[in-house]
Amino acid sequence: MIADEATLARLMVTAQKGDKSAYNVLLSEAGLWLERYFRRRVPPHQLDDLVQDVMLALHNKRATYDPDRPFLPWLAAIARYRWVDHLRKVYKHESDLLEDNDAIEESDEEAIAARVSLERLFVHLPKKQAEAIELVKIEGHSIRETAERTGQSESAVKVNIHRGLKKLSALVEKAE
Amino acid sequence: MIANLTQDLAPVRAYSARDGAALLAIAGGLTVVGVLLIDGFWHGVANGEASAFFWVTNGVLALLGLASSAAVISMASPRVGSRSDAPLWLGAMLAILPIVAVLSVVRHQHGIEAIAEDMYGTYCLSHALFSSVLMFASLTFWLRRGAPVSVNNAGWLTGIAAGALGAVAYGMSCSMDSVSHLGVWHVAPVIIAAIAGRLIVPSLVRW
Repeated sequence: MIADEATLARLMVTAQKGDKSAYNVLLSEAGLWLERYFRRRVPPHQLDDLVQDVMLALHNKRATYDPDRPFLPWLAAIARYRWVDHLRKVYKHESDLLEDNDAIEESDEEAIAARVSLERLFVHLPKKQAEAIELVKIEGHSIRETAERTGQSESAVKVNIHRGLKKLSALVEKAE
Repeated sequence: MIANLTQDLAPVRAYSARDGAALLAIAGGLTVVGVLLIDGFWHGVANGEASAFFWVTNGVLALLGLASSAAVISMASPRVGSRSDAPLWLGAMLAILPIVAVLSVVRHQHGIEAIAEDMYGTYCLSHALFSSVLMFASLTFWLRRGAPVSVNNAGWLTGIAAGALGAVAYGMSCSMDSVSHLGVWHVAPVIIAAIAGRLIVPSLVRW
């Protein structure tokens, strides 16, 4: 079970002061939280890389956590930022499909809540942009396959991905 | 990885909005001193000669600058759920001023060219922009130390904040307090600084 918000915030404040044991616990808990957070939005073989990327960002930017504010919204903002960045970089013709993790995820309220948190970004996108990003950047379909499946032209798919990612990056903090 | 990061841990000074505000206040203070040394202080501000429009323009500019600065300072510590709509509304308020300026010259049967022919216009524009440089740099430095997750917005807001506060700082030395002068030449620096912020800042603060 992942530690609650108050515990995580307390660990982070202590870690900012240099307490290594608190930091060790915090990183372990944050790692678990991030795995669940990303599970439905990242192909399994990319999950570890993305979690490590966010953990490294957490480490490098630990001074930017405001001790007067909750911890998870801060971590979620960093996670979203790195996730959008990851979507930009991900290989366009990735062929591996996202595996079905419903059995694991649906039994865990926290994981659902975390997933909803990423989903909140998508609800602000026009349907065609969300669809193009979902199929190409997350599920790994090619531009051509996506164009055929959605009825959009290939150039429209590319434009929708570009505009959608731009909008996602602007929504990182706002969408909740 | 966790072991390595733990081993690497060193104490850090936790984010505090006060640090960002102090940094900006120092930059603002140095700017005001620079303006007073270079352009002097318009005594009309102190002895009541300044027009109502002078106070309206500089008041809106100051509010916009402060609201945008607060948003930029806050952006260094990201969080889901953070909203800063105040600069948007204040920017909309500021946008009314150039419209009023144009309407006023048209109403008095001068052409729009009367604004362009304002002999002090480009002087005020350039000096207000110059006055924004230090605050622009301080906010950019603050963001670089932070973790902004909306870098394009951060760029716009940095430019708007620095441009508006720079225009206010310089405005204390400008004795031209007409609607057409203030509404155009003291607002234009905000627009130019905002564009500069959008073009320059994101690449400097992206992480």
